[in-house]
Amino acid sequence: MGELLILNGSPRAPRSNSRQYALLFAKSYPQAVETFAVGQCRPWDLCRAMEDCSDLLLVFPLYADGLPSPLMGFLQELEKDPPHNRPVISILINCGFLEPEQNDTAIRILRRFCQKNGYPLGSILKIGGGEAILSTPFRFLAKREIRQLAKSIHRRSYGTFQVTMPLSKQMFLRASSRYWENCGKRNGLTREQMSAPQIENESPPPQ
Amino acid sequence: MNLILSDRALPVPEICRASSEFFDLSQMRIAHCLGCFGCWVRTPGRCVIRDDAVRIYPRIAASRKLLCVSRIWCGSYDLPMKTMLERAIPVQQAFIRLWHGETHHLQRNPLPKQALILGYGDISAGEQDIFRQLVSRNAHNMNFEEYRIVFTSEEELEMTFQKEAIAWANS
Repeated sequence: MGELLILNGSPRAPRSNSRQYALLFAKSYPQAVETFAVGQCRPWDLCRAMEDCSDLLLVFPLYADGLPSPLMGFLQELEKDPPHNRPVISILINCGFLEPEQNDTAIRILRRFCQKNGYPLGSILKIGGGEAILSTPFRFLAKREIRQLAKSIHRRSYGTFQVTMPLSKQMFLRASSRYWENCGKRNGLTREQMSAPQIENESPPPQ
Repeated sequence: MNLILSDRALPVPEICRASSEFFDLSQMRIAHCLGCFGCWVRTPGRCVIRDDAVRIYPRIAASRKLLCVSRIWCGSYDLPMKTMLERAIPVQQAFIRLWHGETHHLQRNPLPKQALILGYGDISAGEQDIFRQLVSRNAHNMNFEEYRIVFTSEEELEMTFQKEAIAWANS
């Protein structure tokens, strides 16, 4: 007992920001951690590993204001075939928006999952600007809070933390526009092309 | 055109048939979003996964009235509806705006909607509260002008759907 497992719940697990967050967490955690990724392991594999662990950290991005559906599916499988040992579940969630509070609904959903299935809820870290923060000068802020998260789980002194980029909303809008324009530019697209109103090549309906 | 999305087969009332399209998500092939952002930065407004979802999200954008029927799991839409809503991000742009004081994605041009959400299952008061919060969050990103949420049990779903769908069509 005492082992910590990480479950990366991002649908693009191998190339995800969640993977970067999980790696930073693993570096900060004083003991060895074992990492699983949704889509790359079966719920049964995680379930078996959970029998010998004390903590499970879920790392995932906010999707449509909730949990990404592959993570939901995974948790539903776990509901059907639960482990005998229920580890403490902690959460590291990130959203692309500036406000870390936009993650709150997803956290409530997970809190309910834990309550319903008998898992104690541990620490929570909410990250705002999570799509970009690791590639900005504010990376150190994210790393600092991840260290706090790791420390709280290791000491069993669970708490809630949050971090975002210390920018005004207007500055964030400008910075995010530049970020996305550069993503489009790499594919030969202008901002106008990226903003086209057509959806599946259909013109927009009259308003 | 009005749109009805459901995670199970339901008898659509006669009055809704002429003015509404009905999609039973349980009978459709809809993969989960890969999070590749291709619909924002490679082929704007078009998803790289060419399954049944590509027929639905343009209809979501074009609908003035939307009725969603979903089982509720832990205060969230259950998998079929949640997967579809995640696949609807081509309706949005990558770019971010300020909306009601918060940062949200710009919309590609969907019609403003009146939405009715019919959540069913064995739903506790706490789960109802979480779901209300979820829908209010989604409303920002789906251009809901107005929405209403109705909860019902699985046993009463067909009857509630009939009653609510008729009222929705007539509203």
